[in-house]
Amino acid sequence: MLKLNNVEVKYVGVILVLRGVSLEVRDGAIVALLGSNGAGKTTTLKAISGLLHTELGEVTAGSIEYDGSRIDGMDPEQIAKRGIIQVMEGRQVLGHLNVEENLLLGGYIVKNSDIKKDLDMVYDYFPKLKSLRHSTSGYLSGGEQQMLVMGRAMMAHPKIMLLDEPSLGLAPLIVDEIFDIVTRFNAEEKTSVLIVEQNARAALSITEYSYVMENGRVVLDGPSSKLADNEDIKEFYLGLSKLGEKKSYRQVKHYKRRKRWL
Amino acid sequence: MEFFGKIVAAGLMNGAVYGLVAIGFVLIYKSSSVLNFSQGYMLLLGGYIFWSFRGGLRLDLFLSLLLTLPCAFLMGILIERITLRPLIGQPLLSMITVTIFLSLVLEGVASLFWGTYPLEQITIFPKGALKLGKTVLTTESLFAFGLAIVVMMVLIFFFRYTRLGLSMRGVAEGHEIMQSMGISVKRILTICWGIAGVAATLGGILLGGTLGFQLGLSHIGLLAIPAAFIGGLESPEGAVLGGLLIGLIESIVSGYVGKAAGVPASYIVLIVVMLFRPYGFFGLERIERV
Repeated sequence: MLKLNNVEVKYVGVILVLRGVSLEVRDGAIVALLGSNGAGKTTTLKAISGLLHTELGEVTAGSIEYDGSRIDGMDPEQIAKRGIIQVMEGRQVLGHLNVEENLLLGGYIVKNSDIKKDLDMVYDYFPKLKSLRHSTSGYLSGGEQQMLVMGRAMMAHPKIMLLDEPSLGLAPLIVDEIFDIVTRFNAEEKTSVLIVEQNARAALSITEYSYVMENGRVVLDGPSSKLADNEDIKEFYLGLSKLGEKKSYRQVKHYKRRKRWL
Repeated sequence: MEFFGKIVAAGLMNGAVYGLVAIGFVLIYKSSSVLNFSQGYMLLLGGYIFWSFRGGLRLDLFLSLLLTLPCAFLMGILIERITLRPLIGQPLLSMITVTIFLSLVLEGVASLFWGTYPLEQITIFPKGALKLGKTVLTTESLFAFGLAIVVMMVLIFFFRYTRLGLSMRGVAEGHEIMQSMGISVKRILTICWGIAGVAATLGGILLGGTLGFQLGLSHIGLLAIPAAFIGGLESPEGAVLGGLLIGLIESIVSGYVGKAAGVPASYIVLIVVMLFRPYGFFGLERIERV
């Protein structure tokens, strides 16, 4: 189980980005972290995976525990070796390497693994990657690159996968496909998933529990089905009006509904 | 014709060594985007270390090699640890500047321990001559050529087909991505510098064997830099070809125009190539998707 207690993160020692975030990811669960731009979602993921260090960020208070031991302050490599793998935002493929080489590097830290079997597993989830396996990854389409970075993370047999905005800039059909694969991977490999999303509708539909962040804090959390019914969530994240219809911008009122959590 | 054959042969021999040293240069650039201008001086220092074992202590050839190579690896690692590790996260320019002044330090170290005069000539490879038509090749340079080519092949094979080689190519693409996959970038960089040290040292030994061990070796070693640029900074294969090309040009120009013109000619070729092919012949083009 992954547990964050009142985590506070500062960049370069002065910029306070997270102001006491607490959340939990049970073993085998899919949990969503929602919120608008700049809410601190990515920072939260980076605090967990340790990649914060490369950006002069630091966990200054609170603790991050995984399976009972503290992992904040550890190097990203050590954290990855414990089975927490982050899939970074923006489809970060190793551009000049081909698809298979990308995947092989993803499995680099697994000791005595059956590489062929692992590759087959990834190709089973993403059949498209198999036909592309000798192509230079930098030239793949956006959807293919997203599949590649997720496949690369799967190669490491993660216990927890931290997925940062997998839907960013992708066509709705591909988003559906990717979310289906996340659910399948979670069910079959028993990997917990913490997913950061702006696409709240998609995220709420596949997760069992969700947290909503704003200004570096968790402002709302609950089972995803409940949150999907929450008036505020509907209004601010799903773009629905009170009646549950799509909002018509012709009738939009020129005052904002007050968010009740503020 | 006879003269031309001799010149071409000599050029290829030297070129192979430039290529070998250039591989080390490429390796460091690829993995950390640092242009290591001290590569020529690593060559000098490595060659001198070998000389100490072989010429100074009069050890057996293979024993000297066996002792020199770990020292060379260590030299690379130490340079990275002491001068560049503390600069991680600083602008690249400061790292590159450090390598420029590092070369002066390395030269200083060499002259401090071994003096500024050329060291006593030692034979590394069996002396002899081989007639190829009308061209006479010395076995010395043949050995040097063969060894350089073999080592380059081994290195290229290593980058292409081994796990560690693959991770080095990965590090070249992005440090943060590699860290997110649990691969220690620092460890890989350390190994890269070690290998670069070994490549430079082997180059130093081969050059020293034919030209004598002297401070001027470092300037010849610097020719590896245009070789790497012409071949394309990211490509070990390009470095090999660039090295051969530079060797040929240098040798032909100094043969026909005059000895002093050889080295400048290689730099002129570098400028011309950069004008028309800024990525070199085998360099990676920046991937831009529209």
